[in-house]
Amino acid sequence: MSIATGRATAPLAAGTTRKRAGILSRIIAHRTDYLYVLPALIVMLVVIAFPIYYTIELSFFRTPPNLQMRDKIWTGLSNYSTVLNSSVFHEVTIQTIIWTIASTVFAFLLGLGAALALHREFAGRGLLRALLLIPYVISAVAASYVWKWLYHSDFGVIGAISVALGITDEPINFLDNRQTVLASLIVVNIWKEFSFAMVMLMAGLQTVPDQLHRAAQVDGANTWDRFWHVTVPHLKGVSMVTILLLMVANFNSFIIPFVMTGGGPADASHIWITHIYQLAFGRQQWGVASAYAVILFIVMMTFGYFYVKALTRGDETRAGD
Amino acid sequence: MAVISETAIRPVVRKPIDWWRWAGRAFLTFLLLFTVLPMAWMVLTSVKSQFAAMQYPPQWWPAEPTLNNYFKLLDPNSRVGQDFLRYFWNSFYVSLVTTILGVVVAVPAAYAFSRFRFPGRNFMFFAVLVRNMFPAVVFLMPLFLLMRWMGLVNTHGSLILTYLTFGLPLSIWLLKGFYDNIPIQLEQAARIDGATRFQAFLLIVMPLSTPGIIATSIFSFIGAWNEYVYAYTFLSRDSQMTLPVGIQRFFTEFATDWPGLMAATFMMSVPVVVLFLVLQKYFVRALTEGAVKH
Repeated sequence: MSIATGRATAPLAAGTTRKRAGILSRIIAHRTDYLYVLPALIVMLVVIAFPIYYTIELSFFRTPPNLQMRDKIWTGLSNYSTVLNSSVFHEVTIQTIIWTIASTVFAFLLGLGAALALHREFAGRGLLRALLLIPYVISAVAASYVWKWLYHSDFGVIGAISVALGITDEPINFLDNRQTVLASLIVVNIWKEFSFAMVMLMAGLQTVPDQLHRAAQVDGANTWDRFWHVTVPHLKGVSMVTILLLMVANFNSFIIPFVMTGGGPADASHIWITHIYQLAFGRQQWGVASAYAVILFIVMMTFGYFYVKALTRGDETRAGD
Repeated sequence: MAVISETAIRPVVRKPIDWWRWAGRAFLTFLLLFTVLPMAWMVLTSVKSQFAAMQYPPQWWPAEPTLNNYFKLLDPNSRVGQDFLRYFWNSFYVSLVTTILGVVVAVPAAYAFSRFRFPGRNFMFFAVLVRNMFPAVVFLMPLFLLMRWMGLVNTHGSLILTYLTFGLPLSIWLLKGFYDNIPIQLEQAARIDGATRFQAFLLIVMPLSTPGIIATSIFSFIGAWNEYVYAYTFLSRDSQMTLPVGIQRFFTEFATDWPGLMAATFMMSVPVVVLFLVLQKYFVRALTEGAVKH
């Protein structure tokens, strides 16, 4: 690698060569530093770089279902057009957007409300926070089974309650109905993750200086004004990170739809991830699934740009070099 | 209730009612019910017999509560008990090894990212962070082929290796935050006193970063304990399965035994909830580290 670049840059200005030597000597001077990072890098390379490379390669081939990859046939971009032209893909894309946005918005709003209500010190506050966090800690598989039982079409407690309260005449079939299934799953997802937003925003609220609130109070600002003009500006940064993390997590969620409905009925609760899984491991269309995954890579990289930017805010100024 | 007694004792109203505070309390009550009721129903169902659970309208409170479902799960002589205890042990073993290896690999890397300025540092750091963005499913297929090639399919090694990588970015990120907060002067003082750089790291920095290591370990352990997708794909042999994959197999064989499933779900949640409650302080700090600048 370095020899090749060396040849290419040789005819150029002497300054380049000096700079290259500078980098090389810096690498040599820092050679022991790499030992600290090496174990992490090796693990990451094996389990990340290889899969990404392999997924991109497979996306250009028609693959046999039995995973004997010697027999794959080059098909160019046809896997991509198969994915992009399928009507199920369009339907699933809309569901993915609804799933991601609705889960994020409601989890954030519930979390914000909880953080504001828990900000004031009162007896039992710590216990309450711990209780609200339990759904976030337990496994999504456990959550899925519990809610599947709550939603059960014959013996589910939610259906029974809605009948007992006279809201409906008979139990609703939440999960076997194309109209209600996605919303029902979104509720489970919000249940599972709103307390993450709560904890993040509680930490954010602690950074709001008390003096500002008192000063505003002295100036006659009411509760709403103080919230809007003092609290909200201070929460902007942490809110952005929280929303971004929720978006990424929701876009990537798999277990809740997979365990609860398997994407059904009639694909109505599929999102991209479960759909890719079904194409790959259900129908053995490895090439098509790979192309689908590459499309997802591209969308994720866009998210990733903002994610890294939001997370490393301040890191660069500290680093100095 | 509280309103009545308070006004009864102090009939003179000094302040107008703080509507915001009452709105907050009402909202918290709603959230508490939303959070707790599903879990309460899980526990109530787990102490019913299958006959009592499959009734409409449901028994709101179990008429004849029984711990049979739990006895069955914990009885090493019954088939269900044997399977459950084996899955439980598998989950524990995989999570523990993942956690220990994760700390061993993440600590030096996080320290290097925090302290050293070597060429390629930023690129590597971003590469490590970006890994967090990608869903497991995208890596499944090539990893499955890789594991087959390495002969690791149906072994716990395949799970430990993959859990290690998806835990590492977060671990490194968290630990780097802790190292950033340890003053470099401490190490410099040790160096002046004749310690090597590695000694300074081992004897000065490591003990100070214990809270960070605890926080990171909780995250790795809970992450590995709850993981489903890789375990579902890599393991097909019954004896190897971890809890999240295992429980669905023995309770849905014929018709779903909902009380049994709820008991198993409860048992599966106990270790992580206990871990979380005991080490809550570290957990919350780790969750918000990096996102909030104090």
